Amino acid sequence: MTREIRIALTGNPNVGKTTLFNALTGSRQHVGNWPGVTVEKKTGKVSRNGCEFEVVDLPGTYSLTAYSADEVIARDFILDEKPDVVVQVVDATNLERNLYLTTQLAELRTPLVIALNMADMAEAQGNPIDYRKLSGFLEIPIVRTVGTRGEGLQDLLDAAVKEAKTSPHHEHTIGYGNEAEEMIAKLTDPLSADRTLSGKYPLRWLAVKLLEGDENVLAKVRGGAASARVQSILSSINSDEYEATMADKRYEAIAAILPQVHRTNTRGTTFSDMVDRVVTNRYLGIPIFLALMWGAFELTFTVATPFMTVIDTLTVWLAEFAVASIEPAWLGSLIGDGIISGVGAVLIFLPNILILFLILALLEDSGYLARAAFIMDRPLYALGLPGKAFIPMLIGFGCNVPAIMATRSIESEKDRLISILVNPFMSCSARLPVYVLFAGAFFGAHAGGVMFFLYVLGIAVAIASAKLFRSTILPGEVSPFVMEMPPYRLPTAMTSLMHMWSRGSMYLRKAGTIILLGAMLVWALASFPYGVEYGSAESFAGMLGHLVEPLVAPLGFDWKVAVALIFGFLAKEVVVGSLGVLYGAGEESLTDALFADPSLSAATALALMVFVLLYMPCVAALGVIKKETGSWKWTGFAVAYGIVVAWVLAFVVGHLAPFFIGGA
Amino acid sequence: MMEGTCPLALLAAGTEAKVTDVRAGRGMQARLLGMGFCPDARVTVQCADRGSIIVSVGDARYALSRGIAMKIFVGIAKGSA
Ligand SMILES: Nc1nc2c(ncn2[C@@H]2O[C@H](COP(=O)(O)OP(=O)(O)OP(=O)(O)O)[C@@H](O)[C@H]2O)c(=O)[nH]1
Ligand SMILES: [Mg+2]
Repeated sequence: MTREIRIALTGNPNVGKTTLFNALTGSRQHVGNWPGVTVEKKTGKVSRNGCEFEVVDLPGTYSLTAYSADEVIARDFILDEKPDVVVQVVDATNLERNLYLTTQLAELRTPLVIALNMADMAEAQGNPIDYRKLSGFLEIPIVRTVGTRGEGLQDLLDAAVKEAKTSPHHEHTIGYGNEAEEMIAKLTDPLSADRTLSGKYPLRWLAVKLLEGDENVLAKVRGGAASARVQSILSSINSDEYEATMADKRYEAIAAILPQVHRTNTRGTTFSDMVDRVVTNRYLGIPIFLALMWGAFELTFTVATPFMTVIDTLTVWLAEFAVASIEPAWLGSLIGDGIISGVGAVLIFLPNILILFLILALLEDSGYLARAAFIMDRPLYALGLPGKAFIPMLIGFGCNVPAIMATRSIESEKDRLISILVNPFMSCSARLPVYVLFAGAFFGAHAGGVMFFLYVLGIAVAIASAKLFRSTILPGEVSPFVMEMPPYRLPTAMTSLMHMWSRGSMYLRKAGTIILLGAMLVWALASFPYGVEYGSAESFAGMLGHLVEPLVAPLGFDWKVAVALIFGFLAKEVVVGSLGVLYGAGEESLTDALFADPSLSAATALALMVFVLLYMPCVAALGVIKKETGSWKWTGFAVAYGIVVAWVLAFVVGHLAPFFIGGA
Repeated sequence: MMEGTCPLALLAAGTEAKVTDVRAGRGMQARLLGMGFCPDARVTVQCADRGSIIVSVGDARYALSRGIAMKIFVGIAKGSA
């Protein structure tokens, strides 16, 4: 038995690191055709031929000089955790730029293997790479891989094992020209006096990084044995200039090799360019985006309806059956009124959720998501955010938790904080059941339009809040927008359905845990103290509801809604689950029960939907806000601000709606 | 031959040019160099009718805000196709 080998996957953004990670370890980490999908390190295990591997997937980065929070994670792991082997995943269709990072990794003299990924694409473009020859030039093992089809995995692991046992690594480094080399020599001398640093990193690498003005390395040197002499040398130079000339030398070295291993002329106008001319057009861009969104919500509603009817009928029947036939009566009530009605009320929406996730998967896998950010850059910039901030907003349509994490790729701290604070206004999938239920009950044929209105309202409130924060509590320059536009890819049915399912199954798991818990809790509150009529004003639920009712009464909500809103804090689906429990299992479905309730009108329903859209991040979202901002103050602010905005807008909408929908 | 330099932001769509200098400040500079915006790199403006532009460097396409595109200087190659 050999010991475990730790492999770190690194490389430029969107080159297929996570795809390879998933193929290697059997994980289901998120993959998408846009740069910045992975924002934290993920670990997985695999064992092959008696060898144990720990594989670490890292965020993508263009260079070892980190800029945004996700790049810092990637760099620190490579520098400080010293994995046994670094596997640089390289996009074979974009060799030149990818090899730039390789030159930096080689200088670090870390054990290095290149996974020449997307080899299928390069070959399909009629430009295969002579990777054996390239490997010879670079003195780095290269393995051909196709992440999406799992090709080359065994070879990759074999190469990693071999590399881990080889030393020393990469004698060959880039020469930077007389002037720079002189400086490097000058810096190496004092650096060798710093034992801790020179024991950890190659001297040449340290000198090169210092010459480039890398803040991180400078901080490592500061306070050490070399500090004074290094700083006096550096004070006389212009590191910006060195940074550019050294980059130039690296690209020159790459350019000297590439024509010998493949055809290097660029491809001219591609299919993606032609699509971009239409979808990013000055006049068509935003209308196309809105039309796509509107179509998406129509589909979410219409396609799912027949499936919903089936699940609905089934739950009503099951709940009735449970109440009628299970002895003792309290148990029947718990199972029928509590569990089946509560969880069932939420499960009905599984078809909607699946379709929404499918649409989001298509959005991410096709490459359109990056274009949406580009299109929205101008309007967002005017309001105080970079276009990149639009991506976490759209991810928020699925769930705010990964969306808030996705803000890590936003460079400026303030921009990032603003993006985090406004993200909960993006309507996540957990709110969808509330809309489908109420829009379906009160707006019939116009349900799709009502949902579209809510999603747009969410975006509008998020953007207006960003503007407000920018001009009051978080003033500053908008960080510049720089983002790669990946080529469009036709999403395969398989990957998109997998995406849909991996998130859909999370919804099911949620239904079986937190939603079930919420439903049982509400049932218990509605049933006790012992002897009260189920769900009456005298029950605990009734008391709690009546306590809060005055606060929401101006919005037209009664105590049942108040209870549902309180428990919706656990997870937004619980709003629906609680209503399912409180309205009990009658012979009618929840939709009909709500419609028949005289205290609810179309206007109140609309106000309620607006309130649920905006009122408060759920527990999970709050947790991640705390984690990413590192501050209870901002977390508390997010809650308070949300409640106030929700209350005001629900009040306005509730009172204006009757004028538009012809009385209630 | 070069005809003098100007910021990338000022080029019209379809123009091909060669990068002469990048001055984007700490952090961003390294990012741009890593993306391929390095002296002598050939770039083509793909789309320039919005607040930000799309530029190709080799086979990669990048969206850049005008602020950043003002910090990348290019020379226009005469008779470029
Ligand atoms: N044709 C082809 N597509 C691939 C291959 N590997 C990955 N892809 C696709 O490339 C895109 C990016 O894949 P990811 O695995 O998310 O890339 P990543 O490097 O983890 O990206 P970041 O986390 O954003 O840095 C996805 O659309 C994948 O389906 C491959 O070998 N061939
Ligand atoms: Mg990834």
